[in-house]
Amino acid sequence: MKSVFLFLFIFIPVLAGGQNLTDVLKQGEDVFNKTCATGYCHGAQGAGGGAPRVSARGFDQTFINNTVTRGIPNTAMPPFTNALSRADLIAVVAYVAKLNGIANPTIAAGGGRDGLLEPPTVLSGDDARGRSLFFDAVRSFGRCSTCHELNGIGIPVAAPIAAVPASVAALKTLETPRVSTATVGGESMPALVLSNKSQAVLFYDLMTTPPVLRTEAPAAVQIRDGSNWRHSSATGSYNEAELVSILAYLRAAVKP
Amino acid sequence: MRLLLVLLLATPLYSQDGGPAHADWPHYGGTHLSWRYSALDQINTTNVKNLVPAWIFQTGDYAENLHSTPIVVDGVMYLISARAQVTALDAASGRVIWQYRYPTPRSGIPGSHSDFIQNRGVAVGDGKVFFGTKDNFVVALDQKTGHEAWKVSVDDPRQCGCNITAAPLVVKDKVIVGGNGGDQAHRGYLTAFYTKNGRFAWRWYVVPGPGEKGNETWKGDSWRFGGGSPWLTGSFDPDLNLVYWGTGNAAADFYDGDRVAPGVNKTQDVNLYTASVVALDADTGKLRWYYQEIPDDVWDFDSSYEVLLMDRQIRGQTRKILVHMNKSGLTFVLDRVTGEYLGSFNVPELFNWITGVTENGKLVGRHEPELGETRSFCPSAAGAKSWNSMAYSPRTGFIYTPTNEICTDVTPNANKPEEGRFFMNGNFPMKLPPNRTTYSHVDAWDPVTGKRIWSMPYKFVLLSSMLATAGDLVFTGDPEGNFFALDARTGNKIWSFQTGAGHRGSAISYSVNGKQYIAATSGWHQTVVGGAAAALFPNENFRLGSTLVVFALPEGSR
Repeated sequence: MKSVFLFLFIFIPVLAGGQNLTDVLKQGEDVFNKTCATGYCHGAQGAGGGAPRVSARGFDQTFINNTVTRGIPNTAMPPFTNALSRADLIAVVAYVAKLNGIANPTIAAGGGRDGLLEPPTVLSGDDARGRSLFFDAVRSFGRCSTCHELNGIGIPVAAPIAAVPASVAALKTLETPRVSTATVGGESMPALVLSNKSQAVLFYDLMTTPPVLRTEAPAAVQIRDGSNWRHSSATGSYNEAELVSILAYLRAAVKP
Repeated sequence: MRLLLVLLLATPLYSQDGGPAHADWPHYGGTHLSWRYSALDQINTTNVKNLVPAWIFQTGDYAENLHSTPIVVDGVMYLISARAQVTALDAASGRVIWQYRYPTPRSGIPGSHSDFIQNRGVAVGDGKVFFGTKDNFVVALDQKTGHEAWKVSVDDPRQCGCNITAAPLVVKDKVIVGGNGGDQAHRGYLTAFYTKNGRFAWRWYVVPGPGEKGNETWKGDSWRFGGGSPWLTGSFDPDLNLVYWGTGNAAADFYDGDRVAPGVNKTQDVNLYTASVVALDADTGKLRWYYQEIPDDVWDFDSSYEVLLMDRQIRGQTRKILVHMNKSGLTFVLDRVTGEYLGSFNVPELFNWITGVTENGKLVGRHEPELGETRSFCPSAAGAKSWNSMAYSPRTGFIYTPTNEICTDVTPNANKPEEGRFFMNGNFPMKLPPNRTTYSHVDAWDPVTGKRIWSMPYKFVLLSSMLATAGDLVFTGDPEGNFFALDARTGNKIWSFQTGAGHRGSAISYSVNGKQYIAATSGWHQTVVGGAAAALFPNENFRLGSTLVVFALPEGSR
């Protein structure tokens, strides 16, 4: 079993990045207090609460890595791979290892089967501002991520962003050839058709935001090419300067 | 006051047509008034001893629990399980009419197999069955076929830390849904979609944004992650066209240093509109009035619970009132036309977070968590009552509520928020209070006099909703698997049945072809409050499961 595991994962020492162990453990304790100790879960110092005690249980490093990253199926223990940043994940695993008497904590890293622990994209300045705008919760359904998923966040209504428009003007006048027109019950609406089969027609109704994924019987819907929908109708919550920042973020984040 | 007199109608005492559920159980709370009361009286205090199972439905979704409230419309039951698998059943025979399985989100997205999984119910209306999901969609199914009609994303749970476990509320041409996430760094809201096509209708943010009234009650930009998520199901008064909802606690839960300016008067209007009951215009979602029960909630006593709408005689006048309990067990009676405070009463036997309430509803003698200290509080954040609902019988005039006597040691911290991540800022292990042998009780209270009429003690905790019927019976279940009936007037236990798994959901009553049924949800939940209960009673093995047990009187004994 262990050899199978080693085949799938590469172990690196937690200090590989040159960080100080004391700092990592302090960060791990902070993450633990914020994420694991709270609520109805593991309690301060892992002493237990609504969920089991995790200190001084004799857990080995492999078990801790697996449990924290993957969770435990059919229990309340969720996987934290996507819920925590890479640094936080490393830190909290090191902290739980310390709670179990492990002196030199390590963590599984690299691609792995589940694509664990992708190194984060480092952003700064305008890129970071653009990122905040892209996902800006204050804009409710008026933000880009209402229709676009990027780096694992957002609703993937549109196809993945493959190319970044050269300018704000280009962003607004973006061609959207996949958007067609659906007519249901006498009402026409811009539609992004996902499948058109004999059983059912599945499409996003783009009349309002957020888009609604609708399922209609083929006889109840007519689809025709083209629509009067324009990408500019979805960018209205942002001003010019904000769209410039968003484009800067996209150039940093979109991998061709 | 003059206005109020104009609005007073000659409503006979205790006779509100929209309150009782009759043959059907059309709504999460029985009807839009949320009484969890059935007008059926075939099963009564005399013959309830003859009650036997009529049919049993195993959902097959043994993720952990069965939290939901079944809905019955025209003899068809709609039941949702923890993983959002919806089944339509012949409510008389248990025959499956259709089944729908919500696709399990992939690992890492909330709702996947290894995540917290729960669902508290569907709503039915406009020929559709509606529910919310752990990955934060609202889904509409065709009521006849179970085929998906539309589906819309409310928010990305990977960003907001929020999701939906509550049953939606259908109001006229809209379906309104609240969300979880108030314990994450998140800004809570209610969202309404058109039932017909899923298009967005309105959103009401619990925490007002810049420029909106109430935003000034937040320190700095703490409003961005101010919590307040209304995570349960509201009520609706069609005559007033108002939707009523309870809102969650302010975030961070146990530390207010970053959201409340120093020296603020804590008797009213702190961190609006968290820990409040709100009345919204059903068509627009605009705030009509609010009543903040716990200004600056630093105990996680969020006010998200059910809102019971009733008409009662108060000081000689028939008043349109609402009755609302938050987790502290302090229960408010408000005028539901204006939000005026009419009275309150405190349900748990143990409390130390305040010393009392003034005549006009202000909290007195606040005992708060303190940074750098561990302080003990009763009740706990698990709630004097958990999220399961109370019931109200217009025949007795009493509300029936399960109450838990659990305390907690709170150690706050001053962590900064990070969007969508836990933001409770405190550790709060539960503990049993000393010198007791019972830790919960079912009570009957008169909401008008604020008097406890009777109380039936129980040794563990009670985390299942109450059902009241016109047969003067009150039904609920316990974690040991017993589903039982109490005499609504005395609290005497007169019938009990072992269903095999603990009770965490909500029983209902309905009739088909003149025969009354009682449906009980059996299936404990060993997470969150259920998990705390397991830790409090480590020698007990409360059984998980996911089974609906439906009872009726045998032929000839009615």
